[in-house]
Amino acid sequence: MGVLDGVRVLTLEQVHALPWGTSFLADFGAEVIRVESVDHMQDRRSGPFPHGQPSEEWWNEGGALAYFGTRNKSSLCLEVVHPKGKEIFLKLVESSDVVTDNFRPGTMRRFGFDHESLLEVNPRIISLSCTAYGHTGPWRRAGSRARTVDAACGLSYLTGYEGGPSVRASSNYMDHSAGNNAAYAIMLALYNRERTGKGMRIDLSMQETGVSAIGPAVLEAQRGITRPRLGCGHLWKSPHNIYPCHGDDRWIAIAVSTDSQWRGLNRAMGSPEWAVDTRFDTMEGRWRDRHDLDEQLSGWTSGQEAEKLMLHLQQYRIPSGAVFTAEELAANGHLRDRGYLQEFYNDHAPQAGVRTYAGRPFRAPLMPLEIKHVAALGEDNWRILRVLAELSEEEIGNLAEEGVISDRPKADEPAP
Amino acid sequence: MLGILNDVKVVELSGSLSGAYCAKLLADQGASTIKVEPPTVGDPARVEPPFISEESNPDGSSLFLAFNTNKRGITLDVSRPEGRRIFLRMVQFADVAIESFGPGYLEDIGLGYAALTESNPTLILTSLTYFGQTGPYSGFEGSDLVAQAAGGFLHAVTGSADRPPMGTVLEQMEITAARNGAIATLAALMHRKQTGEGQHIDVSTMEAAVSTPSGLIHPYSFTGQSPMRGGSDGNVMDGMHLFTKDGEVTLTTAGTGGRPMEAWAEFLEEPGLLAPKFASRRGRMENWEELYGLVAPKLTQWNNLELMEATMARGLVIGLVQNPQQVIESPHLQERGALVEIEHPVNGPMLYAGPGFLMDGVNPMEGSVPAPRLGEHNEQVYCQELGLNIIELENLHEAGIV
Repeated sequence: MGVLDGVRVLTLEQVHALPWGTSFLADFGAEVIRVESVDHMQDRRSGPFPHGQPSEEWWNEGGALAYFGTRNKSSLCLEVVHPKGKEIFLKLVESSDVVTDNFRPGTMRRFGFDHESLLEVNPRIISLSCTAYGHTGPWRRAGSRARTVDAACGLSYLTGYEGGPSVRASSNYMDHSAGNNAAYAIMLALYNRERTGKGMRIDLSMQETGVSAIGPAVLEAQRGITRPRLGCGHLWKSPHNIYPCHGDDRWIAIAVSTDSQWRGLNRAMGSPEWAVDTRFDTMEGRWRDRHDLDEQLSGWTSGQEAEKLMLHLQQYRIPSGAVFTAEELAANGHLRDRGYLQEFYNDHAPQAGVRTYAGRPFRAPLMPLEIKHVAALGEDNWRILRVLAELSEEEIGNLAEEGVISDRPKADEPAP
Repeated sequence: MLGILNDVKVVELSGSLSGAYCAKLLADQGASTIKVEPPTVGDPARVEPPFISEESNPDGSSLFLAFNTNKRGITLDVSRPEGRRIFLRMVQFADVAIESFGPGYLEDIGLGYAALTESNPTLILTSLTYFGQTGPYSGFEGSDLVAQAAGGFLHAVTGSADRPPMGTVLEQMEITAARNGAIATLAALMHRKQTGEGQHIDVSTMEAAVSTPSGLIHPYSFTGQSPMRGGSDGNVMDGMHLFTKDGEVTLTTAGTGGRPMEAWAEFLEEPGLLAPKFASRRGRMENWEELYGLVAPKLTQWNNLELMEATMARGLVIGLVQNPQQVIESPHLQERGALVEIEHPVNGPMLYAGPGFLMDGVNPMEGSVPAPRLGEHNEQVYCQELGLNIIELENLHEAGIV
């Protein structure tokens, strides 16, 4: 049972942003039918695989597939470029609520699946296209990677070590942000349709999602205000950085926001002589001499164990956090205690065994979310074609023979 | 305003950016949102530099302006009994309350979930905190940087492998927590329509950070290796930023039909790229300085926008590393109507970021109103909506409650 029970989503999606977005809808109970093609196996090839080794049935065992790719979704492996595939897709649109895609603009029109064509078979349809730059404007035909969007939206320009050049903000932060935004936009459209009875066409741009994440800088630029790159530093707070701890590549983040937190930090350090310095009494003074302060503070942190130091500093109410690795987070007692991590066994990947996954970053007691099922390639072909497309067993058999539907990669598809 | 959520009433009582942004996401879609600020000082973000206007004033913080569009603002000291009583009355008429204080604070002042639902049994309370409402870290102090650290983002994502961890800017973890909070809140509104039940949603910024990159936990669980920052180090063709005549760009090997060096050699008119040592990704990484020496001088002959157009025509995929100035002046974003103009009584008209999507070709934030001035809607809310008379309001004002 979920809040989106009864909502059917047909999704032509690949890579990251949109599969991430529709996984929220699937978690909330929507029937999300991922329409796949044996000519585009890249998501099923992407792993990660157990110990880096794909097994014989590699296409159903990747970790990203379980984390969001076909998480709680259905899989219909149907070649929509085939005339029969197209016909079936449009038949499914009749009983669907939402159609989503993240092809480049123009592709859905070529398939005959643009919003106007969908409206002809379902006047209440909601469609969402998730693209790098949207369906209008001079850049609409440009390809992208998530990091090229991190670049184009302004985020990467602002990111970098102090005094250094810009660096990419991430490899796929904007995939996640756009995916979150897609989930939100679709739920808004569903909410709207409940009230008005009308569907809509949503043109979601990853770049613009990125711009919405740098709102203050958008305003500052209009007044000629530029932001310096400060690494982990802050525009006016100090100490605000990461500091070395015991071990190789071990660090703690400390972010002092007020004078009273600075006095607390002093107490936590046992009031060393260097810290009892009038230069450091005010935020302005600490910021002005922040390099000196950071160096002194590093002297105190280095040699201490990061997580222990975090616990010590937190007793003095200093905002601080160890720079955790994924290995540490997978064993982290706080996350375990909160039920954030999920141990999950994918039925279709017995050789992968039980693996650990991150949960959603919120608990909603009446809407518990977890990975329940991961769709194998074409797992739902028969059910969907029988029940929703109302085809006979013979018709479905013929489609399989003609290669319009599949439940395994093509014979010549090499292992990843 | 498109106003999809214009039948939803939200009260925001937040002390940090995640709460403000979460409420903004609802307000920007039409939810009638009242931001409750402490009297005199207001939201702490009001005094955060930089300031849009010449000198610091409570309406000039870019952070505050950007994160509080389409809200009405009142002042109220909810920690005092009279203020608490008024707040509970507001909650009676609200669908959603959003707060981002440390866990336990609202209970301490008699406004915990139990007290709020006594006033309004179907209320949805969305709490956004750095570490969540439960668990050993729940009482801990945080910040966006702390969430990036404890949430694994710093170690794994942005910086160089041979340099200290380094993250990204402008409170991205708080924003990610807020996006998740908005999704959960909207789902809770749907749940309430179906069942009549409200609930308390507990959002954690640390967890938002963990789930932000392509997943830290399952890659480790599958491979035994912790994902590590540095993916763009020495990666000339797929990650580094390179200078153009008037800006920066990042290249990719995408869109080249599996023959990236041939495509780029032709485009940049640099046959040196065809050398066998650059043919594989590994070869390009091992010889990156030499490759950089060939590519960089070619790119500095191009202007950003011309380079974008020319590569697009060839099907090559690049990203312009735009600064915020270039973003607001972008002909592409202008043609799409991605930014909306909002007139602020003190700061004048400015362009603001939209929500990132158009609905039926329209930016849903078209016709937005700016962030409220401190106490701007006191009279409207207290007198016209809560039924206080002007004398009562003045008395509250004198007592420092409003």
